[in-house]
Amino acid sequence: MTDTGGSPQLFEMWKKQLEDGAQAWGKLFGQPAAAPPTDPMAFWRPLVEQWVQASARAFAQTPMTPDVMGQWKQFLDQSIDAWSKALGQVMNTEAFAQTLGRYLDQWLVTTAPMKKAAEQGIDQALQTLNLASRTQLTAVARQIVELEERVERIEDAVNAVLRAVQRGPDATPAPRERA
Amino acid sequence: MGQERFADIVERFASGYRDGAAAVDPDAARRWQEELERQVRRAQNLADMIGNPTDPKVGCTPREEIYRTNKSRLYRYRSRRSHRIPVLFVPNLGISRPYIFDLLPGGSFIEHMTGQGFDFYLLDWGVFGPEDNGLTFEDCVAKILPKMARKVLETSETDSLSVLGYCMGAPLSISFVASHPEVPVANYIDMAGPIDFSQIGLFGLWLDRRFFNVDRFVDTLGAVPADLVKAGFKLLKPTMDLSTNINLWWNSWNDKYVEGFNALNKWANEYVAFPGEFFRQWVRDFYQDNKLVRGELNFGGRPVRLSSVTCPLFVVGAREDYIAPPACVRALMDAVSSRDKEYIELPGGHISLIAGRGAALHCWPKVSGWLAPRSA
Repeated sequence: MTDTGGSPQLFEMWKKQLEDGAQAWGKLFGQPAAAPPTDPMAFWRPLVEQWVQASARAFAQTPMTPDVMGQWKQFLDQSIDAWSKALGQVMNTEAFAQTLGRYLDQWLVTTAPMKKAAEQGIDQALQTLNLASRTQLTAVARQIVELEERVERIEDAVNAVLRAVQRGPDATPAPRERA
Repeated sequence: MGQERFADIVERFASGYRDGAAAVDPDAARRWQEELERQVRRAQNLADMIGNPTDPKVGCTPREEIYRTNKSRLYRYRSRRSHRIPVLFVPNLGISRPYIFDLLPGGSFIEHMTGQGFDFYLLDWGVFGPEDNGLTFEDCVAKILPKMARKVLETSETDSLSVLGYCMGAPLSISFVASHPEVPVANYIDMAGPIDFSQIGLFGLWLDRRFFNVDRFVDTLGAVPADLVKAGFKLLKPTMDLSTNINLWWNSWNDKYVEGFNALNKWANEYVAFPGEFFRQWVRDFYQDNKLVRGELNFGGRPVRLSSVTCPLFVVGAREDYIAPPACVRALMDAVSSRDKEYIELPGGHISLIAGRGAALHCWPKVSGWLAPRSA
């Protein structure tokens, strides 16, 4: 591989462009503002900085080998496991079960009238359009299921008779299967 | 410092400094190289998963439909049949689809069992619609299961069968076995199937009648929609999705892992609704009143007494199972009258007991190994 000498020139050009661009952005945002913008990160910054410093210390003490990735994964797994255990303890209380039950009840109380109103509205709209509603289709499907069960019972009875015929007239009839 | 060429840096990285003063440890260099390759594989596989998602081919073991009633199907997986007695496998109704038991070639419980010479019958309860909201637990025990058992006996041309219940399939099938003593059940296996609901854990607390009104729930909704089933199970382990995704990222360099993940993820996100009346009876009789262990169930006019079960029994619990904790599974051991009975507790959770590498290693051989000498 030979060094052509073109790369440093390109690099210098790119660097100059970057510096010029940075200056332009700096001028644009350097105008004095009427009020200082609120910083949503202000609350979290001390925590994040503390975490970054702790991580930096940990990494500085640990030699940089591919094992660092494994250690990091292990740290994540342990953190999630700890979270899971903590959440499990909270969820395994009567207070949580009570809150969950109340939430579900509340949800049902609000859902029930809405569901009923929506179903009535859709049914009316479909009736106006002369189309079958979900309730009607469900009723037909239920009838088909019942019909299928009836056919099956007849099939079972026919098979029982056939078996009895095959066994001969003296054989005792097989007990009827409970439906 | 003068200008460095990239080639020089690579050369130093690979061969070290010529004077040996700051030479790179060849072992460390090799490991960095491996890690770099893994990162590239991770990026490739994750990009593929996002940009070019493929539908995993699940349920590949050949099968034939033997019988159907309403939404339920009975499938037969034929084997070279070195064991005379066939196996009827009863999984859970609702919650999820049963292809988890035949997930991928080389990672399938059904493939393992047929490979071991068992004629295997899978009861697929099916996906129920609003027209099935009247279906009850009792219907399943007193109407559907007897027909399925009879079809197994007819098609396998044998005089007995083994029944294997997994998860909710265990209380369903043991209720059937206990209430139908005339059905020739040669062996019974309970895999992660809850029996004593006083020890069921979080779901037991949440569904306690003091906090959960099952009647209002079913009367309002008609059925329990799949999204609610999903929400319930997600709440049981809120950190599950996070750890699953971190594990995916960590292992995404491994093509085999990604293939397995895709299949399992497809299954894990395909929740199935509960018929309303089924859910009402399931919660009230089992979670709230614990009637199975107390011997207070009566299905189709027949009492369900676990003490009437006398066939050989094998119970498998999973140590980290938070859906059916080992204690509530193990309770079956003390409830039956069988003399030949065995309980084992394996590492893993509710799903990893039946699917995945751990299951193939720890669980499946134990199940087939216990069943084989009793299936002649």
